[in-house]
Amino acid sequence: MMSQRYSLRCSFPLIIQIAEAHRKPRWLPIAKSKIYRIPKRPEISQEERLELRRINNNYNTKMRAIRRFYAEEWVREKSTLESATSEMSQRLEADEWLRCEELNEMWNKTIAAEREERRAQELTIMEEYSLARMEAKDKDLRERISKASAKIRKEKELCTTFVTPENLEETIDRILSNTVDYNFAIDLKGNTYQGRDSNIQNEDKKIQASN
Amino acid sequence: MTTKVVKYVGRTTDFKGKTLWEIVGSLKNFGVGRLITRQVFQRYPEPTFMKIVKVETCPDEERRRVRVWVEKTFRGRKLPQLTEIYRTSYKPDYQLVHKDEEEKLLQAAATVKHKSDILPNSIEMPPLMKRFIMRDHEKKGVQPMKEYVMPLSYKHSPNRVERIAEGDEKPTIEFTMGLGTPVSPTLYEGIPLQ
Repeated sequence: MMSQRYSLRCSFPLIIQIAEAHRKPRWLPIAKSKIYRIPKRPEISQEERLELRRINNNYNTKMRAIRRFYAEEWVREKSTLESATSEMSQRLEADEWLRCEELNEMWNKTIAAEREERRAQELTIMEEYSLARMEAKDKDLRERISKASAKIRKEKELCTTFVTPENLEETIDRILSNTVDYNFAIDLKGNTYQGRDSNIQNEDKKIQASN
Repeated sequence: MTTKVVKYVGRTTDFKGKTLWEIVGSLKNFGVGRLITRQVFQRYPEPTFMKIVKVETCPDEERRRVRVWVEKTFRGRKLPQLTEIYRTSYKPDYQLVHKDEEEKLLQAAATVKHKSDILPNSIEMPPLMKRFIMRDHEKKGVQPMKEYVMPLSYKHSPNRVERIAEGDEKPTIEFTMGLGTPVSPTLYEGIPLQ
């Protein structure tokens, strides 16, 4: 039983009421051993029955009277509070109002002073922050400008070798006169032989020739 | 052949008889004009019975019920208006009065001496409540009450035999905050009351 209850509590933690933990939950069926049990009817003698009925009736009547009394009193108090038309209550209310206003003024003053202080503090913090930010930004800008100027300088240096319409013919002539052959051959030993037309001494043949 | 014996199984009940439809449905003209009684009303010494005036059957969904209007005589006092029986008509507590017994019942009802009991309309407060109210009034500065009584209210019922006191009428039945006078003093033997 405990394990079942425990599992139920784990799966439905919101439905199970801890206050009712000593009871079997409502949705569990009648136990198998109790299913055909017919509870014995309590035997109450006629005398006792009559006396109980009298006592209970009296109790209910009295309780109804008490409830009614308090309900009516509540209604009466509520209505008097709501109306509040008498002069005394109005005067009391005005006094209360003045007192409340004074208190409110005082609170407002203290809170205003606190607020001023806090605002000044906030302002200094903000100024510091913005100054730091501006400085950082300036620094960043300066760095970027210096980087850019360095790049420009480099480009300007490179600029002298550019081909322009003026020196086009000259350049073509120069290139044609100095042709560069990038082809090369490579042998098994890793020797490179530049150029397509260069002469290659075949070592094997040389060896054969020497022999 | 075995004898026909009905053996009831389960919880017992105070009811005795049939449902109203079982009675009314098997009678000529739905039993208009016949007398019926209820077992639970037999606890009073005065006769209580009802005369069927009008019967309306109910739709199939409400097959255990029937709507019946009756002239009710409760504890020998005939109620001025007809009573409708619908909500309680399913209760197996109604009994048909034999035709030869009707006259006897009617005569018994006619010879009942009506008591003119008057119920109080106010009751004294309980002692603790009195103290509370006294202290409350002192605190508020209101002048204290002269008599610590509160009004009584009773459940509305057309069956009420007693009358509720009006104004300063002297009631014949008194309710006090104590135990009161017991109905069966044998239960309190050896116990000093008050």
